[in-house]
Amino acid sequence: MHYSDLTRRYFEAARQVGVMSGEGVCRGAAGSRAQGTWIQFDVRVEATHILEVRFLAYACPHTIAVSSWVAETAVGLNVQAALPESVQSIRERFGVPIEKLGRLLTVEDAWIMAMHASI
Amino acid sequence: MNPLTSVNTPVYLDYAASTPVDPQVAAEMAACMTMDGIFGNPSSTSHEFGLKARSRVEAARAQVASAVGAESDEVIWTSGATEANNLAIFGVAHYYRGRGMHIVTSRIEHKAVLDPCRELQRRGWRVTYLVPNRSGIVDPDQVAAAIDAGTVLVSIMHVNNEIGVIQDIAAIARLCARHGAWLHVDAAQSVGKITVDFKTLGVDLLSLSAHKVYGPKGVGALCVSRQRGVQIEAQAFGGGQERGLRAGTLATHQVVGMGAAFERALTLSATEVPRIAGLQERLWRGLASLDGVLRNGSPHSCVPHLLNLSFEGVQGESLLAAVAPHIAVSAGSACTSTSQEPSYVLRALGRDERLAESSLRFGLGRFSSEADIDTALSAVTRAVVHLRRIGGECTTAI
Repeated sequence: MHYSDLTRRYFEAARQVGVMSGEGVCRGAAGSRAQGTWIQFDVRVEATHILEVRFLAYACPHTIAVSSWVAETAVGLNVQAALPESVQSIRERFGVPIEKLGRLLTVEDAWIMAMHASI
Repeated sequence: MNPLTSVNTPVYLDYAASTPVDPQVAAEMAACMTMDGIFGNPSSTSHEFGLKARSRVEAARAQVASAVGAESDEVIWTSGATEANNLAIFGVAHYYRGRGMHIVTSRIEHKAVLDPCRELQRRGWRVTYLVPNRSGIVDPDQVAAAIDAGTVLVSIMHVNNEIGVIQDIAAIARLCARHGAWLHVDAAQSVGKITVDFKTLGVDLLSLSAHKVYGPKGVGALCVSRQRGVQIEAQAFGGGQERGLRAGTLATHQVVGMGAAFERALTLSATEVPRIAGLQERLWRGLASLDGVLRNGSPHSCVPHLLNLSFEGVQGESLLAAVAPHIAVSAGSACTSTSQEPSYVLRALGRDERLAESSLRFGLGRFSSEADIDTALSAVTRAVVHLRRIGGECTTAI
């Protein structure tokens, strides 16, 4: 399997890994370990802004890299039930094969669930 | 210093997939490709060039036969173990189809056995696929119980290519002989690792490969027991080579390479096998210190060249991607761009889908060193800890 440099970078040195708790933290998760892909986002929100994001993932390198990028990129953005970029745009950015589109949609599901919890 | 490793390349630990050609073997092959006269067609025995080539082919045949306890005239050259398996299975099936249309094999055979069996099924044959125990052992009594009046052939591998488990071929052979079924054994992973004695084992057909034994790719052999009287029907026609059983001009340099490789494997095995066993033990002890590492296949009946491990709490593709810059190993899954299929061998042993997928096969060989093992230990440990932390299953700092 070929991985783009960006995928390798975010996979090998995944940022924003972990969990958070406390006031203003909302959690969303999607997928299942049994199915081979599971992602969880913890998002700390203040008013309408995202202050901090952490993620966990049991997933392939593409999914881990994208989850890490989402967790990093979303900080400072307004709370909204959508990823920082469209799934298609993220797929192209990371060079994710089309066959793995479903896994990116799982990332989106986890993110939307966390956002809905915070709204 | 491992000749296969430089600063910028991963350590090669996939010897079960293929081995590099031993430099001494390569030299003998190269000598066949000069203008000195070994280029002749070994079938052209009317002149010196052909006779020279024929002489080298027959010398190589004797080397291979000697390495596996067969007679020279029992060795048929093929393009590899896959063709040898096909020739054995279809050859026996076609020759004896009037006697019955049933084959017994196991679920953990190589695809080069399973796929011909499936093709025969498609043509109306019955095939019984034996399920090994959780250690990967096929009980000889299972074989005996599966044989019926219509059974023509039993095909069981000697050493499994994924988990390294050694089957009790001698016991299976005795039962096959008692029940009147021919026994084919894929021994592609055996030569140079454990003793292979065609006669003593009581096998009727034995498939061999050169490139698993530091020989070239593209050549193998099928041993067909003359003493036991098994017959096969040719599957390729056009020249009558190999006593009419496998047509096609022989590739002299390839068969010379296989002969040299087998002879060298026999010579080196007394020192090579214990050394590799020590490396395997070092690798296993190092990785077993991680929690949630499961060994696949019986540790009591396996070759030292293979170690197959499942790692709990890590996703298979990520594990392979994380170690790939450092070590070249195989995963317990057939990764394609569209799917990741867990190893059917590990699934047959009862491993669940996730554990089958999160396995690595370490293949150790002639040029493996302690430094290579230490590189593997470091790479795998870092990868597992890293992935478990991302997966929320480990809080240990990397």
